[in-house]
Amino acid sequence: MATLMTEMLKGTLDGIVLAILSARPAHGYEITAWLRGRGFTDIAEGTVYALLVRAEQRGLVEVAKVPSEKGPPRKVYSLNARGRDHLDEFWKTWSFLAERLQQLRKGGK
Amino acid sequence: MADEQKSRYLHYLELVTGSLEEKKRWRRYKARVKGLPGAYRTAVEALERYLMHFGPADGAEAMTMYEDLADLFEQSAADRTPIRDIFGDDPVEFVEAFMANYPLGQYRARERARFTSAIERAAQENRTTR
Repeated sequence: MATLMTEMLKGTLDGIVLAILSARPAHGYEITAWLRGRGFTDIAEGTVYALLVRAEQRGLVEVAKVPSEKGPPRKVYSLNARGRDHLDEFWKTWSFLAERLQQLRKGGK
Repeated sequence: MADEQKSRYLHYLELVTGSLEEKKRWRRYKARVKGLPGAYRTAVEALERYLMHFGPADGAEAMTMYEDLADLFEQSAADRTPIRDIFGDDPVEFVEAFMANYPLGQYRARERARFTSAIERAAQENRTTR
C-alpha cells in the first residue's frame, strides 16, 4: 500500500505542493507537516524540498528569506501568477484523469 | 598591460583546471558541510558521492546543486529534523528526485544521446526497408 501510494504520488506531488501554496505562503517544513497531518505519512521532507527547488527553477514561486531565531534564514515560498496558471493546468489534467478512471471503474468506456 | 597578461594567464588556467569561481563555490560548500553536526555531515557526504557518479560533475549548475543541498541540510540540522524524515524509507527515491532538477551527468547525457540516435537510425532503416 505504501509503495503504491508512493508510485501514484510521484506525478501529482508537485501539483499538491502548488495547491498548498495557493492557500498561503509556507516553508518546506510546513508543507511536509501539512501533508503528514493529512495521512501522507511516508512523505520525505527532502522530496518536498526537491519539488520546491524545481518550482523555483521553473519560476512558479517567489522565494523570501525570512530570518529565524535558530539556524539559517528560512526560505518561504509563495505562488506567483505563473504558478497559479500551472496549478490551473494541473487541476484540469487531474479532473480529466479522475473522470476517466471513474468511468473505467464503472466498467464504461 | 600587466592586467591583460594576468587575465590571459587566468583564462589559460581556467581552461586547464576549470573555473576559479566554481572552485571558490566548491570550497565554500565544503566548509558549510564541515560545519554540520556529525549525522547530517555523514548523510551529505553519502549524497555527494552518489551525485559525483550520476549527477552533473562540474559547471555552475553543479555548484548550484551542491549549494541547494547545503541549504537543505543546514535547515534540517537547525530544526533537528531526523535523518529518516529527510530521506524517507527509500533514500534513492529522494536523491533521484533531487538530481532531476539539474543537468544530466556527462555519462548519462552521452549515453542518452547515443541511445536516441541509435533508435533514430533503426527507425530510418525500418522506413526504407519496409
